[in-house]
Amino acid sequence: MTEPGVPEVKEPLLRRMEPWFFVGPSLILLLSVGLFPTAFVLYFSFHNWIMGMGPAVFDGFSNYADALSSSGFINAILRTFLFLILTLPVELFLGISIALALDQTRNAWMRRLVQILLVVPIATTPSVVGMLVQLMFNSQLGVVNYGLHRIGISPIDWLGNARGAMGMVIITQIWEWTPFVALVLSASLATVPQDIEEAITLETEGFWARFRYIKLPYLRPGIAASLVFQTIFTIKTFDMIYSIEKGGPGNATEMIALKIERIAFSGFNVGLASAESVLTLIVTIVLAQSVVAFLYKDEV
Amino acid sequence: MRLPMLSLSVDQATVEGNVMKPSVKSILLGSACAAAVLGFAPSARAWTLQQAAAPFKGETVTVVGLDRPSYKAAQKLTPEFEKETGIHVKWVIYPYGNTLKAETLNFVSHSGQFDAILSDVVWPVDFAKANWVTPVKDFMDDKAILDPNIDLKDFFKVWRQGFTIKGQLVGLPFDSYSGLLYYNKKILKDHGFSGPPKTWNELLTKYAPKLYDPSKHLYPYVLQSARGETQTADGFTRFLWPWGGRYFNAAQKKITLDSPDAIKGEEFRQKLTKYMPPGFLADNHPQVVQLLAQGQVAMITEWSAFYPTLAASRIGPDLGVTVEPKGPKGRFAAFGGFAYMVSAQVPKKMQDATWLFIQWLTSKSMAKPLIENGAVVARISADTNPALQAKFPYLKPMVETWEHGSVSDWRPQIACYPYFSEIVSDFGSKVEAGDYTVPVGMKKLSAKLQSYMNSTDCWSSVNIPGK
Amino acid sequence: MARYRLFSLLHGVFLFIVALIIIFPFYWMVASSLKSESEIFQIPPVWLFRPDFHAYHEVIFEDGILRSLFNSLIVTAGAVVLGVTVGAPAAYGIARYRFRGRSQIQFWYVTNWMLIPVVVLIPFYLAAADLRMIDNPITLILIYQTFVIPLVVWLLVDQFKAVPIALEEAALLDGMSRFGIFLRITLPLTVPGVTVAAILAGIFAWNDLLYAFILTPGTDARTAPTVMMSYLGGYIIPWSKVMASAVMITGPVVIGGIAIHKYIARGLTLGAVK
Repeated sequence: MTEPGVPEVKEPLLRRMEPWFFVGPSLILLLSVGLFPTAFVLYFSFHNWIMGMGPAVFDGFSNYADALSSSGFINAILRTFLFLILTLPVELFLGISIALALDQTRNAWMRRLVQILLVVPIATTPSVVGMLVQLMFNSQLGVVNYGLHRIGISPIDWLGNARGAMGMVIITQIWEWTPFVALVLSASLATVPQDIEEAITLETEGFWARFRYIKLPYLRPGIAASLVFQTIFTIKTFDMIYSIEKGGPGNATEMIALKIERIAFSGFNVGLASAESVLTLIVTIVLAQSVVAFLYKDEV
Repeated sequence: MRLPMLSLSVDQATVEGNVMKPSVKSILLGSACAAAVLGFAPSARAWTLQQAAAPFKGETVTVVGLDRPSYKAAQKLTPEFEKETGIHVKWVIYPYGNTLKAETLNFVSHSGQFDAILSDVVWPVDFAKANWVTPVKDFMDDKAILDPNIDLKDFFKVWRQGFTIKGQLVGLPFDSYSGLLYYNKKILKDHGFSGPPKTWNELLTKYAPKLYDPSKHLYPYVLQSARGETQTADGFTRFLWPWGGRYFNAAQKKITLDSPDAIKGEEFRQKLTKYMPPGFLADNHPQVVQLLAQGQVAMITEWSAFYPTLAASRIGPDLGVTVEPKGPKGRFAAFGGFAYMVSAQVPKKMQDATWLFIQWLTSKSMAKPLIENGAVVARISADTNPALQAKFPYLKPMVETWEHGSVSDWRPQIACYPYFSEIVSDFGSKVEAGDYTVPVGMKKLSAKLQSYMNSTDCWSSVNIPGK
Repeated sequence: MARYRLFSLLHGVFLFIVALIIIFPFYWMVASSLKSESEIFQIPPVWLFRPDFHAYHEVIFEDGILRSLFNSLIVTAGAVVLGVTVGAPAAYGIARYRFRGRSQIQFWYVTNWMLIPVVVLIPFYLAAADLRMIDNPITLILIYQTFVIPLVVWLLVDQFKAVPIALEEAALLDGMSRFGIFLRITLPLTVPGVTVAAILAGIFAWNDLLYAFILTPGTDARTAPTVMMSYLGGYIIPWSKVMASAVMITGPVVIGGIAIHKYIARGLTLGAVK
């Protein structure tokens, strides 16, 4: 804000206030809607409060200590990391491939069709996807196992087996979000200036060289953005996994968002849930920053 | 009030002269009439719902319900109540998994969203301890709204006890279940069995091997093991009590799930899992019901409330139903169900109107029509009615189970039950999946529960039925 | 030349497979909504069957899905209009000015978005209950701002930065106010970007289950995903009804997305222009 107490002519003051006219409304709105919950969560993370079992009691860092020493929380975080590590690279690789393939396709009709289709999984309601997955991955009666059976693979217990369930959830996540990455990167590729592309095509036939020196720099911002977006999104994943099996079997697919929901709404332990969310938030911020830092490490 | 006798006696006196003096007789008669007017008139006028509801005409009572047959039946019959009382009833239906969530949030925020509170048999300690619901006695003391035919003793003892916390009854039972053994008569017959097993041991050693044929998609039994309350109740607790296992010793404040009996019970369950169809770890009620209906499984142990669903399914006339098998230490069938309570956070007027509704819904006279529409209730008079028993074969085993094979605290009645159950469900699933051996798993579970009960001082809230 | 043809063919095949993988679950969803319960679970799967509309009939006439779709529409439109009206100027302010607190504000916006919804829900519910705003669409519209505004700002900052500053400076010299420039010069040039931001935000608002489920549970105010989830609470899952409601929930969003796919392809540069 402007320095207080410094006598100023009205004009410059108004000018300095200009950005705040633009930013103001959104800030006020978000502060009123977002500040209270955030403050609440912070406040209660330091209290011991189980709904229905008496009033909140200040307890210092004990919730944080409980969370960090409980295998439940740590395992949920690790599971979420595993989920991230197994989905992000695949989404990226497939996304780039699709974007490149689209870029190279001369057939406008095919191009149009695929672009349209790519929008579809993004638009689909995640809870709907979860229901569909329940149906399709049923080990006795689902169409996925039927398809596998036809190509000679014996049925996999997707819903009842820990590994199978994790696999099912990973496959679904990839299906749902690769199109997003593909679209973002496709848009990035479209910004490669035509003349540069033609010039380099004349100079070298090497696909790999062309990719590395021309396309990659233009792709990089898109890759960074979609990685950050996907990281945050994946950590927050809830609806889809919940509507499949609520994190089951056991807690095989219980990501951090699901674990916190259970603590908050099945155990009614508001204090612990708040502490765990704060910890998760810190982790998310650190992760997001690292992704950006890593991808732009050779830039200031 | 006119006294016609007076004139008569005067006439008689003047004619014959040997009757009592008219003045005394008329005084006696007069006193008798007066006494009748003053003393006996109230008993001549019976309590009616319509009259009792008069002060509440036009109010709207919000009732929590589930998407289950009993509530559908209740909703169907609700217009009768509305017509007679002029009170409007608004049903709010939740999936089971969200009911406690919605009600707890409602209470904590004092939002007064619900008037009639639905309570699972494991929630009353919670609700009562926090004073979120008004005890039944408060309404029973008010003659204006108490139905003299309420007859609380007509509720099965085990149900009354289930909702009596520290000596106070807090709810009226509705939608009450017992666990039953459902079986496919034809499949059993085809494999040489004349009837269902009477003990768990029989099921495992005699029936299971003969009925296990994965190549033909045939399995003897499947246990609903999905995480959450299903795992805790249907999965875990079912194999605890019949072997002598108990959750805790309240007097000693000690969890006893690592006792040899408890371990024996859960080990039996592990042996049984070898005969179950793949994917059972994810199976919830709909799935196992579907498996029995489609003929892929010969037997299941499920809630009595599923009878109408199964009877109407593919299995049709082949459906058999009986009491759950006995364990080495007795029969302790699954015990579960609900009751209606009145929210203590709404104005007294609303509370009274709500009381009228739940009293009506759970009354003796409504029991039969409800049962006929697919509901399950805990009224002795209705459930032992021979005509109804003939029409609904599940009633007899259910009554038998409630009278001889159930305990009210089959699942612990403690204030911290929600999270307690989550812990049990966690470890129960892991043991069933084979992540831990039974002894190791039970020991870890006991340790975790012990520390949780101690740290939250949940021991002080333990409710022992009948005390 | 042959090598080129081969590549082209491979590209085509690859894209074709991608298209198939994307489409198949949708086909399955629509097909299941038209089958009977036993047909849904039949193995081998039934590919040709007589379509049966009873599920749609029940979902529409018995379960009130039309009302809930209408509620979803109100909430989504409200959230998007509010978010864009308030977020676009904010993005402009961040894009064009350097002022103290700029990065803190951006950080605050993104943090809002990173918070796990579940936990934000409890305080929000308690506050809403206090103000008697449960079962009120405005409650949802407000809480959705926690992800709409950050999304809008994030997407639009770069869009605005991409508008040549020379254009704006020329208008300044002509005496236009800053806000006027924003409205009449910058915005028209960034319509694709703003549309994409609006559409994406709308998709997330429409699809939300968690907040809607808890904050507007009553039959009058509930949104469409809540209706679908309510089918899971019973004793049997009526799969054909679940799929029918799924089709009705996803249909509008997918159709909407397709209708403006061109904008999405163009507008999702997400900082590609540095």
